[in-house]
Amino acid sequence: MKKILSSVTDGKGFDIGLVLLPLAFLFVLSGLPLVYNVVMSFQEVDMFSLGSFARPFVGFKNYVDLFSQPETGPILFNTALFVSASIVGQFVIGFGLALFFWTNFPGASWLRGLFLVSWVMPGLVVGAIWNWILSGDFGVLNFFLREMAIINANIFWRSDPNYSLWAVIIANIWLGTSFNMILLSVGLSGIPKDLYEAAELDGATMLQRFFTITLPMMRSTIGAIVALGLIFTLQQFDLFAGITSGGPNNSSNVTQYWAWDLSFRQYDFAKGATISVIMIVFVMLASVVYVRSTRHEVRG
Amino acid sequence: MGIRRRAMLGVIALASISLPALSVHAEDVTITVWSLDRDIQPAPNLINDFNKLDTGIKVEYRQIQFDDVVSEAMRAYSTGQAPDIIAVDNPEHALFSSRGAFLDLTDMIAASSVVKPENYFPGPLASVTWEGKLYGIPKATNTIALYYNKDMFKAKGLDPEKPPQTWAELVDAARKLTDPAANVYGLAFSAKANEEGTFQFLPWAQMAGGGYDNINAEGVVKALDIWKTIIDEKLASPDSLTRGQWDSTGTFNSGNAAMAISGPWELDRMMQEAKFDWGVALLPVPEIGAERSSAMGDFNWAVFSSTRHPEEAFKVLEYFVSQDKRMFKDFGQLPARSDIAIPSTGEPLKDAALKVFLEQLKYAKPRGPHPQWPKISKAIQDAIQAALTGQMSSKDALEQAAEKIKGVLG
Repeated sequence: MKKILSSVTDGKGFDIGLVLLPLAFLFVLSGLPLVYNVVMSFQEVDMFSLGSFARPFVGFKNYVDLFSQPETGPILFNTALFVSASIVGQFVIGFGLALFFWTNFPGASWLRGLFLVSWVMPGLVVGAIWNWILSGDFGVLNFFLREMAIINANIFWRSDPNYSLWAVIIANIWLGTSFNMILLSVGLSGIPKDLYEAAELDGATMLQRFFTITLPMMRSTIGAIVALGLIFTLQQFDLFAGITSGGPNNSSNVTQYWAWDLSFRQYDFAKGATISVIMIVFVMLASVVYVRSTRHEVRG
Repeated sequence: MGIRRRAMLGVIALASISLPALSVHAEDVTITVWSLDRDIQPAPNLINDFNKLDTGIKVEYRQIQFDDVVSEAMRAYSTGQAPDIIAVDNPEHALFSSRGAFLDLTDMIAASSVVKPENYFPGPLASVTWEGKLYGIPKATNTIALYYNKDMFKAKGLDPEKPPQTWAELVDAARKLTDPAANVYGLAFSAKANEEGTFQFLPWAQMAGGGYDNINAEGVVKALDIWKTIIDEKLASPDSLTRGQWDSTGTFNSGNAAMAISGPWELDRMMQEAKFDWGVALLPVPEIGAERSSAMGDFNWAVFSSTRHPEEAFKVLEYFVSQDKRMFKDFGQLPARSDIAIPSTGEPLKDAALKVFLEQLKYAKPRGPHPQWPKISKAIQDAIQAALTGQMSSKDALEQAAEKIKGVLG
């Protein structure tokens, strides 16, 4: 008894406790809902059986039904496009801004802080504001583009199936850029200055310095940002609710919004769960890639 | 151990103090009511008044948000914690009554001297009916009609006292009224991919001899083609596809649309915002003499079958019904009854509009009733949007919807 007690306060038991505590936490708060969700995707669920676990199992019926629906393919494609375009946009602009503020002109840190405003705003507010900006008849964006003579007729960002997904992507890039910028700024300031001094003495050009020092030193930061970006964009729901509601005709619908629509608008909880399971598979794949790509990283 | 024992003692002490306090009202039966009404809307006010009557029934109120009504109700019912009375949106009513979640009130209504089915408009009454039995009482009702800007009618040489009667006249008037240079569209309506889209389109389908169970009828194809003409020729904003009724009618109020299809919930805002002379007309029909129809909105009262006090719950509902004559004056809602004369508001524009809406209510038809209404509705929304964006022809889109609905109806 005493031995166990002392091992808990100081020794192997303490280490095990350190591991078990977060594991238990993860299991209760993430593991159980996840398992519940997977189980639900193999069951027939309606709202009156929502409160019980003993629901009829239907095998892969939900999956088969889901993939036989005509909108499934386009929605999966939309999701891929939304995620990749958002991440690329947020990252490129965020990195550009981070490099810009890295030059440390007077007031740079203040301005950098102000950029965070977009990240602080609640998603639904951002959605409502972009809803107005992107409005076809009275939208500011159309006004701006018209005055700049880039377009001569209004673009109906929200209602034209060719643009609707891009309307949400634009809003999402705006929303996520500052977060990317801040994390990348932190990464940049972690690079030792003497590396650049040495490279400069050796006659490396600015581009060479960027590609041989900045990028490699930023590898783990970039990996983390892309992984987080993937999670944030796959979670992005408010903007869809605020701007297009997935319309018109599902042209801007993505899996996360569709899962909600199926579960809470059409009360088809099993199919909602099925889509979530498919999303989990993709996120798992992405996180494996992320863990592998940053595993050997040693930060100086 | 000491701490625990002391805590236990504390709990017992507290319980013994609070028990007598509770027993003061022990003879009262408590009825819980859930609805989405805010403090200025009927439910909480009627409940306050009812509690003052001291009938031996104490009513407790809980407000739930519009989006949560069904999911909250389902969760509560399936875990045995349902309230006694709930207000549900009329297309969702059948979902509960068909599964036995709502109490069959037919006999109590037959014996009641307050609630009389013949006093109600047929649409709302149909929405609480399932297989010939009454599973609720309509709480309020609304419908849609055509608002039009009389000043713009005059300016474009149209007779402001002769609003469009038929679909052809509507399109014709919209063409004349549309003025891109002045940022004016002929018509504002909503074809949004949610229940609002169905709410606005279904009346057109019904007027043309179709319905949710016959959505690919020839007349419905024609109706959708008319909608497509309106969008394609930009007689209405292309954003009608992603804009709800409230926002669409907002453009009418600001003078950016000459006509708007919406309901009486717009009246108060329009009285304040619209700086022009306007009127309301019945929804145009396919051709003169064709069957009229309109949408039917708003909530119904129902009693959960799990209630332990069905008699008392019904008494509360009887009280609500007895106050129906206050619905419009005090809360701006239309009672679902044809036997109540709505008193004049003293605002001629509003009174004239009300008269039209009350006339339109006679033709209002419920959505469904069907327990799987959201799925049927979704199929209709998809068809509207596929056709209006030009991704499918109206005929193909409606054929596909009919196929999906057939799958739901079984």
